[in-house]
Amino acid sequence: MTTQQPLARTPLGHAQRRPMHLLIIEDDQEAANWLIKGLREQGHVVDHAADGDDGLHQALTGQYDLIVVDRMLPKRDGLSIIRMLRADGRNVPALVLSALGEVDDRVAGLRAGGDDYLVKPYAFDELLARLDALTRRSGEAPPSTQLRVADLELDLNTHKVRRAGQDIRLQPKELRLLEYLMRHQDKLVTRTMLLEHVWDFHFDPQTNVVDTQISRLRSKIDRGFDAPLLHTVRGRGYRLSAHD
Amino acid sequence: MTRLWRTSAIRLALRYALYYALIAGAGLGALYWATSQYVNAQLATSLSQQLDGYRQIAKQKGVAGLIAQFNQEQALDNRRERYVLLVDAAGRYLAGDLTDWPAGLSADDQVRNIWLEDDLLRQQQEDGPEGHWPTVATRLAGGERLLATQSIGETEALQAFILSAVIITLGMIVTLTLVLGWNLGRQMLARVDRVNRTTARIIDGRLDQRIPISERNDEFDDLARNLNRMLDHIDKLVAGMRQVTDNVAHDLRRPLTRVRNRLDVTLLEARDPAQYVATLDETRADIEQIIATFNTLLDIAQTESGHIRGSMADMDLSALAQELGEVYEDAFTDNGQQLVLAITPDQHVTGNRDLLGQTISNLLENALKYAGSQATVTLTVAATPQSVQLSVCDTGPGIPAEQRDRVLERFVRLDDARSTAGNGLGLSLVAASARLHGATLRLTDNGPGLCVGLGFTMTTSGR
Repeated sequence: MTTQQPLARTPLGHAQRRPMHLLIIEDDQEAANWLIKGLREQGHVVDHAADGDDGLHQALTGQYDLIVVDRMLPKRDGLSIIRMLRADGRNVPALVLSALGEVDDRVAGLRAGGDDYLVKPYAFDELLARLDALTRRSGEAPPSTQLRVADLELDLNTHKVRRAGQDIRLQPKELRLLEYLMRHQDKLVTRTMLLEHVWDFHFDPQTNVVDTQISRLRSKIDRGFDAPLLHTVRGRGYRLSAHD
Repeated sequence: MTRLWRTSAIRLALRYALYYALIAGAGLGALYWATSQYVNAQLATSLSQQLDGYRQIAKQKGVAGLIAQFNQEQALDNRRERYVLLVDAAGRYLAGDLTDWPAGLSADDQVRNIWLEDDLLRQQQEDGPEGHWPTVATRLAGGERLLATQSIGETEALQAFILSAVIITLGMIVTLTLVLGWNLGRQMLARVDRVNRTTARIIDGRLDQRIPISERNDEFDDLARNLNRMLDHIDKLVAGMRQVTDNVAHDLRRPLTRVRNRLDVTLLEARDPAQYVATLDETRADIEQIIATFNTLLDIAQTESGHIRGSMADMDLSALAQELGEVYEDAFTDNGQQLVLAITPDQHVTGNRDLLGQTISNLLENALKYAGSQATVTLTVAATPQSVQLSVCDTGPGIPAEQRDRVLERFVRLDDARSTAGNGLGLSLVAASARLHGATLRLTDNGPGLCVGLGFTMTTSGR
């Protein structure tokens, strides 16, 4: 951690767990420098490649937890890198960065084997949250049907939610929202991530409709209990966690 | 002049002149040939008949009688270039116009073209040209040989006459075609020049210029009219673009100025970290607003380009509306309004889910913002026999009828709306989306309030 860290209010809260080894493939040197700086300050180990061929070479020879790849690169485009990796049997998670934001482009990015797609300009928080979510997804534990955060339990087979032994009734959409939050417990989850994964909305409503949905869920799972579990990280997103 | 040669009219005229010349040449050539054949055949018959006559005379009056006949005819001299010769069995001259029996002529009663030189004539003739003369010869009972021949002078004169007629006719056809083509070319060039002059002025940036239309109302005028219509459309688009560009500049200039001023002032002197953080936070908020405006403009541009059409598929509009309605319900309640969902289930349209979601979201956002508190907003999906109707109706202040079209334009915000946050792009995207989906977009009076309705024509799924 550098000395700049205390300036930037509270720590972002993504990186308390083990540092990741990341590869950034991005030809815009300025953008790459800031990205690397930000990620290193979060405690990650970051390598950088400035063109497609170099990026593919590094991705094939190195051991990475995650690859962030720009879509338009000199020598070899980002999607081709991911395709080559997948063809080689590597399932290292890959997040595609792109200035192309159309629906078709996103679909193409995911179809090529990308695990997530982020359109430029993006917020750094958004990137961090998504990287975090991706490492969990490729993590060791098989998807469980019994989720638990502190005294909150969710059984995905019976759709039963209990907190401290008390039954809580949730609507189907609320269940999906809670499931997503529980699967990413202790991590920052952004509005956009929720819109995309819980509602499958790939556009940004001007009104913060997610906030009202979160409030409604919070009133059901937190009201009347001692410690709040569902936290709002102001201006950035939400986190379901036993810790504050 | 060289331009005239390059015109298609001239090239067409030249080509037709050639075609006509070929056709007329072939026809006249055939006439010429047929005439020659006819004349030759007549000549041959006439020669044979004459020879027959002489043979009769020889039979009745003997060779001496024939000689007397020849001399008599020679004295009259009205034989019209027809000549005769009588020789004895040894080939010696007895009577007639020729000096010697022509070499190679056999007396077999067949009409042949025999080469005769004019010095064979006893009396030199001015116009007795040498050539292949039609000739017929016979042998009389006493072994004398008799021939009759005809100078080709007359035939040649006839042929020459026909030939010159052919040439004159051809010349007239070619000249006429060329003159017509030349004039046509000049006329077309003049009209094309008029279009070109207008185009040149337009290229110079004078988009208000239009191509003049003549009273002839021909295909050139059709072309000019269409070009003018196209220019009207382009003019309107360019004006619209200019308007949008101005608005974008204006809309982005405000937050950019704020960012600039804030950074400048913050950097004037050393400040404590909290102030830096506050400045950066505010700056980030401004930039987010700029990015949002920017993204919306891109969305509209992409929608208008029709690019997304490829990714349209059959989708459940009712389910999408229901989901959005549920997400928005609380936001309306928090705003002191009420959202009513009147959604007929299972209504399918061909469309892009993301774009339609954005469309419905924009309509709901507008109602949230402009319908005012206490308003009841109804999100409806209903089916008619031919279409699926989606509408968002409120009981707010509404929009005056004369301004309803304007709000669909980019960046247009009615005066009452200037104080609220927004970029005036919401309904533009709705309009673009409606166009892309082939849906009708109607703004109507909800009495009181505004009703925005989209009518999707029913299509068999998987169009």
